[in-house]
Amino acid sequence: MAMNSPNDPKPSIRVEGGKVVELDGKQRADFDMIDTFIADYGIRLENAEAVSKMDSLDLARKLVDINVSRADVVKLTTSMTPAKITEVVGTMTVLEMMMAVAKMRARLTPANQCHVTNLKDNPVQIAADAAEGSLRGFAEEETTVGIGRYAPFNAMSIMVGAQVGRPGILTQCAVEEATELNLGMRGFTAYAETVSVYGTEAVFMDGDDTPWSKAFLASCYASRGLKMRFTSGTGSEVQMGYAEGKSMLYLESRCIYITKAAGSQGIQNGSVSCVGVPAAVPGGIRAILAENLIAMALDLECASSNDQTFTHSDLRRVARSLMQFVPGTDFICSGYSSTPNYDNMFAGSNWDADDYDDWLIIQRDLKIDGGLVPVLEADVVAVRNKAARALQAVFKNLGLTEITDAEVEAATYARGSEDMPVRNVVEDLKSAEDMMKRGTTGVDIVKALSKGGFEDVADAVFGMLKQRVAGDYLQTSAILTRNFEVISAVNQPNDYHGPQTGYQISDERWEILKNIRQAISPESI
Amino acid sequence: MDQEQLIRQIMAEVMTSLGKDGVTFQKKSPAAAGTIGRDQYPLGEKMPDKVKSATGKVLSDFSLEKLKNGELTAEDFRIAPETLEMQAQVAESVDRESLARNMRRAAELIAVPDDQLLIIYNSLRPYRSTKAELYGIADELEKKYKCTVNAAFIREAADVYEKRGRLKAD
Repeated sequence: MAMNSPNDPKPSIRVEGGKVVELDGKQRADFDMIDTFIADYGIRLENAEAVSKMDSLDLARKLVDINVSRADVVKLTTSMTPAKITEVVGTMTVLEMMMAVAKMRARLTPANQCHVTNLKDNPVQIAADAAEGSLRGFAEEETTVGIGRYAPFNAMSIMVGAQVGRPGILTQCAVEEATELNLGMRGFTAYAETVSVYGTEAVFMDGDDTPWSKAFLASCYASRGLKMRFTSGTGSEVQMGYAEGKSMLYLESRCIYITKAAGSQGIQNGSVSCVGVPAAVPGGIRAILAENLIAMALDLECASSNDQTFTHSDLRRVARSLMQFVPGTDFICSGYSSTPNYDNMFAGSNWDADDYDDWLIIQRDLKIDGGLVPVLEADVVAVRNKAARALQAVFKNLGLTEITDAEVEAATYARGSEDMPVRNVVEDLKSAEDMMKRGTTGVDIVKALSKGGFEDVADAVFGMLKQRVAGDYLQTSAILTRNFEVISAVNQPNDYHGPQTGYQISDERWEILKNIRQAISPESI
Repeated sequence: MDQEQLIRQIMAEVMTSLGKDGVTFQKKSPAAAGTIGRDQYPLGEKMPDKVKSATGKVLSDFSLEKLKNGELTAEDFRIAPETLEMQAQVAESVDRESLARNMRRAAELIAVPDDQLLIIYNSLRPYRSTKAELYGIADELEKKYKCTVNAAFIREAADVYEKRGRLKAD
């Protein structure tokens, strides 16, 4: 079941001597690893017993009520147990949850994230697509690999490309945990996201981690000045075969509490790669919104999925996305495929490059800000070409495999990898491995860009590296402007409390959003 | 501050185990003590002259030119423990205690080399280590790198793994 399972535990908490001795009907002696971790680190204990006894319906009303401030709600929600918060959101309709999301999202301004991948792991295409993604407005960009050993090239390509499109874009490369950390340490990536956690101990073991190993990993990232969020989602425990008969949402709420307990600033959730499971059961899409809401209510950054594809119905996929698109989240998609579906190496996304016009029209129709802006073809061509040339220079100056002028030309105009010349994969992998052995870092990439005459791009990558010294983007829900100013839930917290408050589309922004390129003026007909 | 908190925590636990209920120690918040809070944030924009890298270089002195002529190396782009402590205080000033805890664990780990961190992370995964091995890692972290909070965290993990049967068989 997605939500409201009769097998879900009844909320309870008992604290003795500053220690939780009972949690959601279980005594401390019977705690599994996850219970222990949540009980010891994940709940504010001062008012926990009192909040647990409060009426769940009354608490749900506070979540929706514009007259109860976000800060007041957070005091209550962060004192709840996993079963309690599940029960609270379980009383709400999707409309009420959307109202609550508008208030509980951590950062004032909503944003969006894209995937930049391709079937051939072609680095030149990654750079070009990343540049276009930045131009279109994504604040974060994520790549992954078809072939694992391509990871260093993909990470480097998305970083260089993204900085060409717009300085200050955060980039990541989703690969196996230890490799991902290594790429971050070297300065090839700015953040990590695929730090997965699970709601039952058996599945956690299958995922080859524990709450302690994941919390340690979170600290490793912060120790190198890297932004990081965890990932989880409803349905993962069902998909991996150990759901203990509990509802998907209850198990997901345990994941979100683990995330909070580990001290991660945020989470990517909303079923993510397991979306097929909740989407197949009654109320499943409602449960996905509910898990996003729980993350926000626990004061975490929420990258709210709208990620992996789950249906061939255009109507269903839009309806599913409106849950987050309309109220706005920290990252509405996590991510939106910046390539055609066939090039998406995260198994396809609910939204892809062929849908850009529709996304923009929906923003214009509803006057909502989903993070993307209309672009001109000439600008797209220019940044794609520059990104491809910048990467060509980096490869040349770092002594890597050659990127030919023909590849630069192809990447400038390519829709997808079908339009790209075939590269010598064996040589690429040898070259990438050699680069890693030589200990190449982000600093070398800056030098290579500068040597190649791409001084502005070098400066942008330098700006990204500088961020890790200050660590400002380690705070909740942080993104960067093109001038490397940090915007987070610390300096720009969401203060929504009813009409005409919270994030408002400025006149200037509205001019940009509504100015779609296919609009025709009546005078021209 | 870390050590003080740790000592308070240990004392509280000892007192509890002695059966004396109601022993409370008021935790002193560093933010309340007038140090760093949300008003100083973002540190990189509002006080770049006070932010130093792990190598001791001042952020406001960073320039692309210095990177190009080799005055700045990859090592200089690493965050300092003092900076993470300031960020932890910022997090506390907006009531994000668990995030602050993570930043303080992280502050200790700055001194630990990259390879070593990856090895420790892998050792903490299920069925990878015996209890003695995890305790050994904790001891080394404590002695060699002064990571007291992380050492306690790893020992705690070892105890939980033992209870739940997630250790490597001897």
